[in-house]
Amino acid sequence: MQQLLPTLNDHNLPWMDTIHPIVVHFVIAMAVISVIFDLIGVVMRRPNLFEVSFWNLLFATTAIFVAIIFGQVEAGLADPYGASRSILNLHSTLGWSLAGVLSLLTGWRYVLRNRDPQSLPMTFLAADGVLALLVVIQVTLGNQLIWVYGLHTVPVVAAGRAGLI
Amino acid sequence: MSFLSFLVPTTAALPQLLAETASFPSDAPIDQLASWLGPNDLPYSLPIHPNLVHFTIGLFVISVAFDIAGALYPIEKRVFRFLALPITRTGFHDVGWYNLLACAIVSFFTVAAGFFEMLLAVPIAGVTSTIGLQSMETMLWHGVGGVLILLSIIAMTVWRGYQRFLWRRDLGRQVQWLYLLVGLGLFLVIGLHGTLGAELAGEFGVHITADQLLSSGADLNVALP
Repeated sequence: MQQLLPTLNDHNLPWMDTIHPIVVHFVIAMAVISVIFDLIGVVMRRPNLFEVSFWNLLFATTAIFVAIIFGQVEAGLADPYGASRSILNLHSTLGWSLAGVLSLLTGWRYVLRNRDPQSLPMTFLAADGVLALLVVIQVTLGNQLIWVYGLHTVPVVAAGRAGLI
Repeated sequence: MSFLSFLVPTTAALPQLLAETASFPSDAPIDQLASWLGPNDLPYSLPIHPNLVHFTIGLFVISVAFDIAGALYPIEKRVFRFLALPITRTGFHDVGWYNLLACAIVSFFTVAAGFFEMLLAVPIAGVTSTIGLQSMETMLWHGVGGVLILLSIIAMTVWRGYQRFLWRRDLGRQVQWLYLLVGLGLFLVIGLHGTLGAELAGEFGVHITADQLLSSGADLNVALP
C-alpha cells in the first residue's frame, strides 16, 4: 500500500513546497479588501466599490475551499509537536468554519446585490467586521504554525525524522 | 489563550537560551542589536513582510484576472446569464482598477517590511536551496527583485490609469491586450520571486523560531514545548 503513495521530499511533501500558504494569498487578500472596499464605499458614498467588494468576496469564498483541500493534505503530512498540535487543531476548525461564514456572507450578498447593487445595509457591514476579525485570528494561528513552530520547514522535518522532537 | 501569544515577544520566554546560543558570529553588525532580538532574530515573534505579501500577490493577480474577464466579456456573458449571476463589463474593470490601486499602495509597505526583516536575517549556514542557490544569493535576488517588482507594479498602475481615464475611457474594453500580456508575464516573475522568498523561510530558516533554535543546537522539547 505504502509504495503506491508518492515519495516525500525534505519538506515531507509530495510536491516542491507548501501550496496552502500560496492559495491563502487569495483568501486573505480578497476577504480583507472586500471588507475595506465596503467600508470605503459606505463612508465615501461610492456605490461602485460595492461591486468590487462583491467579486472579491465571491473569489475569497471559491479560494477558501481550495485552501482547505491543500491545508488538510499538508496538515496531515505535518508532524506537529508541543503546543503546535492544539494550534493546528484550532486552525483547522476555524478554517472550515470560515468556509461556512464566507459562503453564507456571499449568498446573502448575492441577494442584496440582486435587489439593489447601489446600497449596503449596516447589518452587512457588521457581518464584515466579524469576518475581518475571524480572518485576523486565523492568519495569526497559521503564522504561528510556520514562523514559530516551522512545520514543513527542512530543519524541523529533519529533526522530526531524527526523532529529536 | 495560546494563540494570542504573538502579543508577547518570544524573547520573554527564552532570554537565557538566546544568550547562550546566538547563531551569528560575535563580530557581526547584527550583534549590536542582540539584546533587542528574539530567537527568531526579530524584535517580535511573527514577521510582517510575509503577511503583506498576501496582499501584493493576491491583489495583483486578481486585478489582472478580472481585467481579462472584462476583456473577454462578449464571450463569457452567456455563461454568467446561465448562472443567473448578473454582470457588467464596467464592474469587472472596476475590480481590475481598484485592486491594482490597492496593490500599488500596500506594496510599498511590503518592500519596506521586507528590507527591515532581511537586514535582520540570519540564514542557516551551509544550506543550498532546491533551485541551487546559497542564502546570500537568494537574499540578493529577492531584495533587488522585490524593488524591481514594486517598480513594475507602479508602472502597471500608471499605465492602467491612463487606459481607464484617458486613452480608453469611451471604450467597453478598458485595457489593451498588451497590458494583459505584460500582466500575465509578471505572474511568472512574481511566482519565481515568491519561490525565493519561500526558500528563505522553509529552507534557510530565516526568522523561524524553531529552525533558529535547532541550528543553534537547542532541544525543541525544552525550548519550544
